[in-house]
Amino acid sequence: MADTPQKTAESRADAGTSSVTDPMISIQHLSKHFGELEVLRDVNIDIARGEVVVVLGPSGSGKSTMLRCINLLEQPTGGKIFIEGEEITAPKVNVDRLRERVGMVFQQFNLFPHLSAKKNVMLAQRKVLKRSAAEAERVALENLARVGLADRADYMPSQLSGGQQQRVAIARALAMDPHVMLFDEATSALDPELVRGVLDVMRGLAEGGMTMVVVTHEMGFAREVADRVIFMEEGYVVEEGTPEEVFDHPKSDRTKDFLGHIQ
Amino acid sequence: MVCMKESLKTLFTTYVRWAIVLSLLLYLVPAAGWALTSDTATARSNETSTSNVLGGVPTRVTWEAMVDKGESVAAVSLQFPEGSALTEETTVRVTVLDGTERVDTDSTATVDAGASCVNVEFAQPLEEGHRLRIETYDAALPNVEGEVTLAGTYQRDDGEQVPLADSPAIKVTSASPAQKIVNWLDEQPWVQAWNSVPILRLFLNPQLVVSSIPTLVVGWLLSLMLVLLGFPLAIPIGLAFAFMKISRSRILHVIAAIYTGVVRGTPLFLQIYIAFFGLPLMGIKLNDYVLAVLVLAFNSGAYMCEIFRAGIQSIPKGQFEASRSLGMNAVQTMFSVIIPQTVRRVIPTMTSEFILLYKDTSLLAAVGVMELMLYARSLVANTGNMTPYIVAALFYLVVTLPLIHVVGILEKKLALSDEGGADTKKRKNRRGAYQQMAEEIAGGSDDGSVSYQQLANAVDTSYAHGMKGD
Repeated sequence: MADTPQKTAESRADAGTSSVTDPMISIQHLSKHFGELEVLRDVNIDIARGEVVVVLGPSGSGKSTMLRCINLLEQPTGGKIFIEGEEITAPKVNVDRLRERVGMVFQQFNLFPHLSAKKNVMLAQRKVLKRSAAEAERVALENLARVGLADRADYMPSQLSGGQQQRVAIARALAMDPHVMLFDEATSALDPELVRGVLDVMRGLAEGGMTMVVVTHEMGFAREVADRVIFMEEGYVVEEGTPEEVFDHPKSDRTKDFLGHIQ
Repeated sequence: MVCMKESLKTLFTTYVRWAIVLSLLLYLVPAAGWALTSDTATARSNETSTSNVLGGVPTRVTWEAMVDKGESVAAVSLQFPEGSALTEETTVRVTVLDGTERVDTDSTATVDAGASCVNVEFAQPLEEGHRLRIETYDAALPNVEGEVTLAGTYQRDDGEQVPLADSPAIKVTSASPAQKIVNWLDEQPWVQAWNSVPILRLFLNPQLVVSSIPTLVVGWLLSLMLVLLGFPLAIPIGLAFAFMKISRSRILHVIAAIYTGVVRGTPLFLQIYIAFFGLPLMGIKLNDYVLAVLVLAFNSGAYMCEIFRAGIQSIPKGQFEASRSLGMNAVQTMFSVIIPQTVRRVIPTMTSEFILLYKDTSLLAAVGVMELMLYARSLVANTGNMTPYIVAALFYLVVTLPLIHVVGILEKKLALSDEGGADTKKRKNRRGAYQQMAEEIAGGSDDGSVSYQQLANAVDTSYAHGMKGD
């Protein structure tokens, strides 16, 4: 009995962590290249529990790839990534168990078109978390209500607007009780009038204490919601800081340039 | 006790002996009075391409009898069995033979249609040793399944009426409704006019249309059975090989590639020959139909594999990613997310494949598997007329034309739903939706999916298959 806590501590130490105050996500010397093309170069980011990090940068700067590495949709070429102290880049890691804890929302929504909104939210709960149909349905309706779509539960994705589809996708990820949510340009494919609804849901999540990594072009959202803003270019983290630091007093010329173009 | 038993036994034996003698006498005594003994009764076959005698359909009935010793016959009344039909058309021919010599006799034959009776009177009574033959033309025997006999009476020279013994039995097959229609058609002036045109008579003979239907229905059902067993069997084969083909394992991929390559690269006809002649050489003897189903499934499985592979690969990558990002493993993703969407997409192509396979069952005729084509071929061989082939064509079309129509509808629906079902304006404007789809094919869709290109390729290969098969 006595050695159990010690063992736990040891295994935690083995996994490269030492205490619960460790970052939620720790990205160390991450690099990724597709053939000759270097997309990420020595990226180091620590994200604390409950922190909202917004990643900015021009197209091709590697921000989406960095996000996709966090749940191993892309296999990093080099470096290490820890989630809650567990190294996910280690060989033979259970990828599916990792992904249960990391929710992701995609630019193209990627709802399952053959399933209703409710069934979209229920599927993985049933298959992965092995929840009963009744339990999964309860959680699904709860989360659809949370994104303001309780009345659209039985609609097919094709019957929903882009903004509604993206909110269903958020509900689908939330139903898995993730510890981290990744947003990959969640509003980029939406018509301008539909962006607000999705951003409101994301803002609500942030206020609820969810750890979030958000890749976006919505500067207003970044300024208002982000705890920290990271600016990336050509695979490097060029600048990071609070929204005020990055937006109002950018240190790097590249950042200034980028913000100048955007605003 | 023993003694008593013995005497009972003796008594019984004696009784039995007497009974046999008595019954023999009873048999012989009346036989002596029947002095016109019928030894032949036949009817001509009246069904196309069989030797059956159909009841209820006019035929020629031949009855023959020998005039016994010391007899003379002045008249004969031949009674047809109940249910026979003698009409105004019915005619009678009377022949009298002495040995092999024909005897000229003056006879009058009348037909009593109401009583189903043929009466023959002779000016000079028939003498002993004469053989009498009465041929009744256009008389219909009763429409029953079984045996019938002719009875009647004859009149001696002295005016005495003597009953005739029953004739030998004639085996009668009950006439089908089709045969009755054929006989009715035979008499219709418009049919005769129709058949006077050679091309119509040789390709669309009304009587043969009707008479070949019962046979071809059987063949049609057999063909349907072959495809309805072979096709579902091809689905798991195709699915399994599709998984192998998209798997990361080099070996599995190569095995699947060899399978689809060889099967799609060689004629089904050849595959049928190898299976039907090769397997027996190896000592593997299967029922023809079982083997036929297996060959069809094996062949179609290769095409199905390509359809499924294209279908699976046509699902946008985002679907895999969304599913995996929710923690579902590869198998769960495949069966809960990818396959259900694939099924919807491949149903039109699969229906086309079903149509091709159904038509390809005809190739099995070459190895003697009884199905629609072979039945049609044997009818054509028997009748020397193309009509059964035309009827067989109709039996293929009955299945294929509605399915071709269904494929068209499904393809349109698919195009609409893929392009965004929420937009009701576009839903109404089908033409517009189709054009948009065409543009997508030409330009490639923006979400990185290769759906239509891939599917179109699969469809192309399927059609190539069809051209080769026929």
